[in-house]
Amino acid sequence: MTGYLAFLKKEVIEYIRTYKLFIMLIVFAVFGITNPLMAKLMPEILESLATDGVIITFPEPTAYDAWTQFFKNATQIGLVVIVILFSGILSSELSKGTLINLLTKGLSRTAVILSKFTCMVMAWTVSIALCFGLTYGYTMYLFPEDQTSNLLFSVLCLWLFGLFLLAALLFSASLTKSNYGCLLITGVVVLVCMLMNIIPALHKYNPISLSTDNIGLIVNSIDVTSLYSVILISCLLSLIFVSLSVLIFRKKQL
Amino acid sequence: MDLAVLKEYFPFLIPLIILQIVLSITALIHVLRHPRYRFGNKVMWVLVVLFIQFIGPALYFALGRGEE
Repeated sequence: MTGYLAFLKKEVIEYIRTYKLFIMLIVFAVFGITNPLMAKLMPEILESLATDGVIITFPEPTAYDAWTQFFKNATQIGLVVIVILFSGILSSELSKGTLINLLTKGLSRTAVILSKFTCMVMAWTVSIALCFGLTYGYTMYLFPEDQTSNLLFSVLCLWLFGLFLLAALLFSASLTKSNYGCLLITGVVVLVCMLMNIIPALHKYNPISLSTDNIGLIVNSIDVTSLYSVILISCLLSLIFVSLSVLIFRKKQL
Repeated sequence: MDLAVLKEYFPFLIPLIILQIVLSITALIHVLRHPRYRFGNKVMWVLVVLFIQFIGPALYFALGRGEE
């Protein structure tokens, strides 16, 4: 336990000193501000593109458009940035050999993996909370009368998908030695999820539903209860990925 | 775009501009103080960091920053 806490502290310091946390916070803050703004400006931008003679009318933007932007950016760019930043989570320490001293002095390998996972999840939570807070504030400011339903639940689903992705990332990091291999395996996991999504029967059990059903939840076209099975499966899969990475890392030749 | 329209978007523009300035300056200080990069040279990174909004500094910290 003390090893876990000490290593967690080291991880937090590393995130700050290598500017990882800084970049993540700035990227997510920028998204948080631009989401509602893009929703508001999109009709004007498109209208300015229309040539004379052609009249295009757009519906007045609403809070839904702002949240559509939020879920699109957070899943497409936000998660990609996070995966790229964290792709060296194990490989950088292994190639520099900084872990060996600690491990020979008695730090357990389980503690290393668990504290790395905790720290990644903490960073992801802070970033998504910041992005959500900013989008929420500015959406309230721009579209004060629009009501959305299930907003927090929808964001929670997105957060859980991020957690699943980070567990998959940790698993692939423990399998490979380079960060490209890690990126590749994580990409394969996401790709398999996406391909499985083609079959409608599997949609209820596919973790990727957590990142695709968000808009449906907000406009109430998807029932909250339909996602319970996915939530359970994602939690289980994350748990399996983390335990597997602990098992693999314990056997791994450093 | 006239001033009234611009004024409407001040609450958005000001935080964005502040974020951009903070990001560029942090990256610029790092570029100048740590003159060893994974690739490229000082002049290139200074230009990237100063003139590519948001993506430039992020690229520098993610890819260009050398090991201490």
